[in-house]
Amino acid sequence: MITPLQFHLATVFLKIFLRDRQSIVFTLLFPLIFTGVFLFSDGEPDPIKLGLVNQSQSTLAANFSDLVAQEPLFNVTEGGLVELKQELINGDQTALIVIPTNFEDAKEPSKITLLLDAAQVRQADAIAKTLNNSLISIERDIREIEPMFSLEVEDIQARPQRYIDFLLPGILAYMLMNLCIAGSGFNVVEYRRRGILKRLFVTPIQAKDFIVAIILSRMVIILTQISVILGLALMLLNIKIAGSLLSLYGMVILGTFIFLCIGFFLGSLAKTQEAIRPIVALTTFPQLILSGVFFPITSLHELLQPIAQALPLSVVVSGLRGISNDGASLLALNSTALGLVVWMAISFFVAVKYFVWKEVAN
Amino acid sequence: MDGISFSIKTGEIYGLLGPNGAGKTSTLEMLEGLNDIDGGIASIDGLDVSTRTHEVKKIIGVQLQANEYFDRMSLSELLVLFGKLYAQSPNPIELLKRVNLEDKASAKPAELSGGQKQRFSIACALVNDPKVLFLDEPTTGLDPQAKRNLWQLVRDLNDSGMTIVLTTHNMEEAEYLCDRIAIMDQGKIIAEDTPQNLILEHASEPPKAKLHGNIEDVFLALTGHELRD
Repeated sequence: MITPLQFHLATVFLKIFLRDRQSIVFTLLFPLIFTGVFLFSDGEPDPIKLGLVNQSQSTLAANFSDLVAQEPLFNVTEGGLVELKQELINGDQTALIVIPTNFEDAKEPSKITLLLDAAQVRQADAIAKTLNNSLISIERDIREIEPMFSLEVEDIQARPQRYIDFLLPGILAYMLMNLCIAGSGFNVVEYRRRGILKRLFVTPIQAKDFIVAIILSRMVIILTQISVILGLALMLLNIKIAGSLLSLYGMVILGTFIFLCIGFFLGSLAKTQEAIRPIVALTTFPQLILSGVFFPITSLHELLQPIAQALPLSVVVSGLRGISNDGASLLALNSTALGLVVWMAISFFVAVKYFVWKEVAN
Repeated sequence: MDGISFSIKTGEIYGLLGPNGAGKTSTLEMLEGLNDIDGGIASIDGLDVSTRTHEVKKIIGVQLQANEYFDRMSLSELLVLFGKLYAQSPNPIELLKRVNLEDKASAKPAELSGGQKQRFSIACALVNDPKVLFLDEPTTGLDPQAKRNLWQLVRDLNDSGMTIVLTTHNMEEAEYLCDRIAIMDQGKIIAEDTPQNLILEHASEPPKAKLHGNIEDVFLALTGHELRD
């Protein structure tokens, strides 16, 4: 299937890459930085910094502030109204709750004031809800009633999953897309601009030889990068991969193939060195938003969903997520497998068919 | 191109001359299978260039005007690569010897001077031991020493039996190297003959006994004196 020429060309491209010290440094630095960022943020949102001013002496108020302090969503600092208000203004606190002196007055509902920085509106809902829950449970305690209902959240897939477990396959797929398109698209434009492609194609080489060779060499580089990231994620971020590593790598290889071919096509579309950047941005950025990297596609508008699901990045994301989160095997991902096959065929076809080597771009 | 017709004999050095934009490079690229031919026929060694491009590419060697190569690859590695493109394994040192670059085997193309670069380009064009060698402005930008050195190389290759087709702006070069010359202007061939005959026919001062003027006079007489870009 792979001819000796394609293999030799691939080793040449690999050699060219390995001799470029700078690009090797950055290639290895990137996964390190990537993992580092998640290591420090732990992939989970930071607790909300909550100031608490207790102006009441009652046990009820003490109970309430204890409950609030136990809430993992909050990082509570108790103190005086004036100093905490200043901290809120300075941005050292996200929100401030004030328990009034007449907190225990049973005649009318006790009012707790929540002070917020307008810049933190995003978190206001979460803060208010959690505080309300605390208030309800305190109220039950006082009135000595048992809750009538309780809501237990249970994951139907029964997997202990954190947001980062959901996020990692998405990020992995997005990185794969960027690495691939940079590896083929940008290279092709540069080789064409300098007339290197034209010189190559004076010989009996065929477009598919060149494309297969670049795919082979980039595959080696990208699999190395992905392995570094995966290794670090498994060791340092304690990521769980439910499926087999073999399936995961299989999926990465198929995704690499698709994105490299798309890169070739974009490289042929771009007539100049300047044009390739916006063309690539126009292709990758919408996919970052639409392909379920950060949140599930089902949270998009209904009309957008079928389009979003058909995007190549969506197919790769859902494949990687199925393997990594749900333990699926590469061969058992029905609709994803279909999407993969279709995209592999389309992308290879357009890469070869529209491959431009003649015009020396400026 | 506008209805040009010419034939090149096996074993000769054939020169295409003309002002900028006359169509020299386009003509060459049609013969090399790089440009589409929309009417008429071009054939090399009996092979139609339009329909049997792949086979034609196997028997020709080409030096393009832009001679850039992959970075970070040495000359001998590049020659091995070009050999593979023809499914051949030439000896890179032998090839470098032919163009006087054997001491540069492990150098990178970026480290070469202009003349060395041109000679290396010719070495790349020789990997498949071509029947016809195409050279597109091989001496443009070279100093006199490098130019003479390259002329000698072209002569030697021709002596070994290779047919050579070149384009040039340099009249001295055409006169010195070429067995026959075609002068092109605005996509047409306006004169074709040996340098000697062209001088006899077109040089501005008609000679009585001795040969007067040179090919530059012929060129200017045919294409006029106004500047071209």
